[in-house]
Amino acid sequence: MIPMGEESRDVIMSHIRRDILNSTLSKGTRFDGRAFDEYRKIEVQRGVLDSAEGSALASIGETKVLVSSKFDIVKPFSDRPKEGVLVTNGELLPLASPLFEPGPPDENSIELARVVDRAIRSAECIDLESFYVEEDKVLGIYLDVYVLNYAGNYTDTATLAATAALLDTKRPKVEGGKIIRREYVGPLNPTSLPISTTMIKVGDTWLVDPTREEERVKETALTIATTGKHVCAVQKGKGSLTKEEFLTAIDIAFKRGNDIREILKG
Amino acid sequence: MSQSEGKVQLIIDGKRLDGRSPDDLRNLRIEAGVLGEADGSAFVQWGGNKIICGVYGPRECIPRHDINPYRAVIKCRYMMSPFASLEEHSRSGPSRRSTELSKVIREVFENLIIAERFPNTQIDIYIDVLQAEGGTRTASITAAAVALANAGIPMKDMVSAVAVGKAGNVLLLDLGKAEDNFGQSDMPVAISARDKRILLLQMDGLLTRDEIAEMLVMAERGCEKVNGRQADALKRFYEEGEEAKFRM
Amino acid sequence: MEEYGGAKPQAEEGLVRDKKIILPGEKIANGKLNVPNTFVEGDATFAAVIGMLDSEGRYIPLENRYRPSVGDIVVGVVTDVRHAGYEVDLNLPEGGFIPTRDMRINLQLGDFVICKVKMVNEVGDVDLGEVRRLPKGKIIEFPSAKVPRLIGRKSSMLMLLKDYAGGDIMVGNNGMVWISEKSDMPLTLKAIKLIEKKAHKSGLTDEVAGMLKAERGARPAPQAPEASEEEGERYVPE
Repeated sequence: MIPMGEESRDVIMSHIRRDILNSTLSKGTRFDGRAFDEYRKIEVQRGVLDSAEGSALASIGETKVLVSSKFDIVKPFSDRPKEGVLVTNGELLPLASPLFEPGPPDENSIELARVVDRAIRSAECIDLESFYVEEDKVLGIYLDVYVLNYAGNYTDTATLAATAALLDTKRPKVEGGKIIRREYVGPLNPTSLPISTTMIKVGDTWLVDPTREEERVKETALTIATTGKHVCAVQKGKGSLTKEEFLTAIDIAFKRGNDIREILKG
Repeated sequence: MSQSEGKVQLIIDGKRLDGRSPDDLRNLRIEAGVLGEADGSAFVQWGGNKIICGVYGPRECIPRHDINPYRAVIKCRYMMSPFASLEEHSRSGPSRRSTELSKVIREVFENLIIAERFPNTQIDIYIDVLQAEGGTRTASITAAAVALANAGIPMKDMVSAVAVGKAGNVLLLDLGKAEDNFGQSDMPVAISARDKRILLLQMDGLLTRDEIAEMLVMAERGCEKVNGRQADALKRFYEEGEEAKFRM
Repeated sequence: MEEYGGAKPQAEEGLVRDKKIILPGEKIANGKLNVPNTFVEGDATFAAVIGMLDSEGRYIPLENRYRPSVGDIVVGVVTDVRHAGYEVDLNLPEGGFIPTRDMRINLQLGDFVICKVKMVNEVGDVDLGEVRRLPKGKIIEFPSAKVPRLIGRKSSMLMLLKDYAGGDIMVGNNGMVWISEKSDMPLTLKAIKLIEKKAHKSGLTDEVAGMLKAERGARPAPQAPEASEEEGERYVPE
């Protein structure tokens, strides 16, 4: 008797789900009653960690991601000796889903970290040049993206938490080449707020903010990060799409991105 | 880790640095059922500690060579997040300390989980320390017990834990970070609720037999209080019909 | 399929009156009872999982890890087709097994089935019989401790759901629930979620009925619940 692992059961079930999902979609809604371009409930809590200079816990539906933003004094990169350093790390914690196994970051956690990093770096919302301390010493900002509960779309939840953490971040006081913890010189003040919008295609339909179940049956996945006026990061996952589909997706991403940005600012 | 206390005065006029008396617990908040995907979960905020625990199982045993045909295999992973310390950002991944703690915490629950009811399976206890301030292992055990109850995994008893110690020549309940780092002795204890059996016991420093006897009584009283909070957390979760919001 | 083995439907009233939450390890009786989710030590019986006492003093588990018993009705998915029989995923660490010789029709990978537990042994093997293939639909997971509430006394809750859903619903003791694709899926899922969240509150049937009415308006369901067909429409994988 070979028990069926979670992963293999999902593969079998996904064939069945796609059929049923399509028949529900043809009646105009998704399993949870949402419109095709609607997000689940979004909540953001800022300042949830005293041990970090900035932090936020974001939830979209039941998906929860914690981002910590913490400074250290580090060596600059040799080709940018006067610039601070941004390092983004991602963890799909095993407690977050039966699908996540303990161990070093796998390709999914690495991809998540790199996509969040790309959105923030392209948006140029952190003035890394202001992080110079002295010869061979700069401020490094570590963003740790921790997925605590995975019910679909950890990407958008992570980007939201990361941007909220940056909004929450305070620059630490630096004296004698060292950080004086718990003393600050002011807010980080990110100059833009990147928000990502992830959508999947099932048949001919784009579904925004997929649940875990919808993600299992997707044919194509696409994440677009925007800053209000610009697209700052794109990541296509599985599948393929046409030019027109991409342009449509960009329009959706700007609209939803702006909505979510209002939640952050409010 | 205790050092001889020359530099740091931990007791001033009989009061501890944070104003507590010797047998006071730090602020303790416990929430049950905070994560929807895990079979059971709990969040503990204890003093400056913020710890989340998720439990899965009994489920398929992977790797298969771990399998036990008579009982569920219990696995525990305690991890300290790189951002958990109030000081510098550390490296991700396991350390020697987290490996030891994973083991001793697992051994607590091996006493309690009725594993024979689920042969050929495994039960996973995942503990992630999001913020640390002394006493993470006792807070972790406290969280894991709530998460296991929330998961409906059969157990013979509940367990709670607290560290007792000595600093400034005073016996203390629930050591804070400074007391843990600079005090004379640290003794984390986990005690089962009904049977009052000791399920976790470690100690460092120098103590006389009488001091230990007194500290064990303090530990028992402390564990009773903590157990009351665990019960409250679980009652709130089931009475509110799972609508409680998770605030970190 | 109206009679379900295993956990009996709960009394509607009194479920949360006098409710006292029982933690694992608390004594629930002097004397040795042979009741699921408890254990015996010495001459007394103790709760093994979190539960509560109803107004009649019966111990009811609030959470449990389902363990199949002979006679239980379970819902599952065929995950392997072998010469000797079929492997069925029951959302348990161990799979169920249907010996080929017990089947009159052929099953395929991905088929949904409802069956009876015929045999359980000490190592966790589960043999299934009285198998019926279920037509196209969706399967969801539901906490096994709350299954009696989903069914309701004399199946009252389940009938209410089927009336509004407009399609058939099958509930297994193992916490797998099959919903016919002919149902109003979002409405049915919403109702089941409500039952899951408020399983231990009194007046739940009224609350669910109220919610269903409000969502649907005063119109009844478009179709009467269908009987499940043995040789119904078969799902053909792409």
